[in-house]
Amino acid sequence: MDELKTVRELYGEPRLDPLLKARVRGLLTDEPRRRRWRLSWTAAVAGLAAAAVAVAVAVAVPGMTGEAGAPNRVATISGRSVLLAAATTAESDPAAANAYWRVRKLHRRTYPERLGRGANRYWVVESRLTEQWVARDGRVWSASRALGARPGSAADEEAWRRDGSPTEWSSQGEVLSTSPEKGELRAIAGKVPFSMAGHEMTFEQLQRLPVAPAALKEWVTEAVSDVPAGTVDGVVADALSGLLWSKPSPPDVRAAAYRALAELPNIRYLGSATDERGRAGAGFSFTVQPPGARNGAAVRRTLIIDPDSSQVLSSTVTGPPGVKGDQVELVLEAGWTDDRPAVPELP
Amino acid sequence: MSWAAHPAEDAHVVRLSLAESERFSAIFDTYFGEIHRYVAQRLGADAAEDIVAETFLTAFRKRAQYDPSRAGVRAWLYGIATNLIGRHRRVEVRTLRALGRHGPDPDTPGHEEHVAVRVSAESLRPSLAAALAGLHQRDRDVLLLVALAGLSHEEVATALGIPYGTVGSRLNRARRKLRATLGETNPMLESEEADRG
Repeated sequence: MDELKTVRELYGEPRLDPLLKARVRGLLTDEPRRRRWRLSWTAAVAGLAAAAVAVAVAVAVPGMTGEAGAPNRVATISGRSVLLAAATTAESDPAAANAYWRVRKLHRRTYPERLGRGANRYWVVESRLTEQWVARDGRVWSASRALGARPGSAADEEAWRRDGSPTEWSSQGEVLSTSPEKGELRAIAGKVPFSMAGHEMTFEQLQRLPVAPAALKEWVTEAVSDVPAGTVDGVVADALSGLLWSKPSPPDVRAAAYRALAELPNIRYLGSATDERGRAGAGFSFTVQPPGARNGAAVRRTLIIDPDSSQVLSSTVTGPPGVKGDQVELVLEAGWTDDRPAVPELP
Repeated sequence: MSWAAHPAEDAHVVRLSLAESERFSAIFDTYFGEIHRYVAQRLGADAAEDIVAETFLTAFRKRAQYDPSRAGVRAWLYGIATNLIGRHRRVEVRTLRALGRHGPDPDTPGHEEHVAVRVSAESLRPSLAAALAGLHQRDRDVLLLVALAGLSHEEVATALGIPYGTVGSRLNRARRKLRATLGETNPMLESEEADRG
């Protein structure tokens, strides 16, 4: 028996967040102006970026192209009133009546390194379908299914053909394929399932959040109080918006989150917008400044919401600089269901 | 990966970076992936980000003291990372406990990306993880620099600043304890090791 090999197998390959390198490089570059390392704050940024970015992948679905840009801007209406209207809708949502809360998302991202050989290098866009299930007793399941990667733009496709049209790539311990995976479903055990701005959060904590907008904002601000001055606003906006769509927040907490967001000074309203599936809603965005980063090195999150249903339709994360392409997540379904946890069907 | 081919070039880059600090980013680009992998294996992906950043930050601050005649850049970085890991013993033990329970793919919603290698004998996992957690930190450091980072005995000695012979004795002790846990002793392995030095 070779115990060194057994040890290696025990540790396995850690998961790789493709944007981590760019993030850490940013921190390193700006080091001289930083006095000390802020452990919890970098975790918060990790949570922010991870929530939207780490999993973010692409989609081989009609209407979604590799290089689709920001949401389509159509007209301007009073953004604040849109958030308040969404709050009213959220409030009237029925409380959990079914067995599971489920969110099904389509992710798209550009793989952070160009792939290919020799002179034929090209960007590849990956897509993935994910589902998360939460039972009312707090048990959590996670399902994930890669839908296949493909060259991003027409020029990338040209280069891919010259490269011999490979159907599989291997890069930094990750394997990408043009074919969809079978997918997998797994129960999450022994780990706190949710996080808010880098702070772990249990299902029970989520159910007990304040339902008054000011109290909720205060709670969130307190939770992220370890972030450097000047970055708090962005982190609070991100943490509040996370309650709207990536967690099974109770209806009155979602309503409070919408109302608290409506009062934030750093929310930018984008007016009517359609997401990449053509669904109409209203867009708003905010920026989150990573610690020590230069101005302009921030991450911007754009959310499109449907005020009529109070659902978040899509999230687009842009930046930090140096990261190729936006990280797009489309919410296909979110809410309570009696369906049982299962590997997602191909769209 | 180009590091193996150009150790001398890397040392040169570290020296150049004294005058032009942006050159240090070449070192970062070359070694980030494997240093991150090593730290994430030992402390989990969540804690790894900070420790990896700190590793390169420490290397950057101490680049003037880097002595290319004693250690390759790669071993030097692993040494810094290992020292930082040593300050987080509780996190490491917790990570090992989780590895023993769930195997090498700590999954959370929103973290579906991973490449997992399954332990062939699932049943060994908890006792192996417990045995690793029970090792002396200094023995575990040596074992994991060899098993996970693939450093030679000589590189481990320079990375940790310990005598060459000590590397062998710590490694032997760690392996012996693991073998005892795994319920198998193979005298051939011991004699093989003695040859290797």
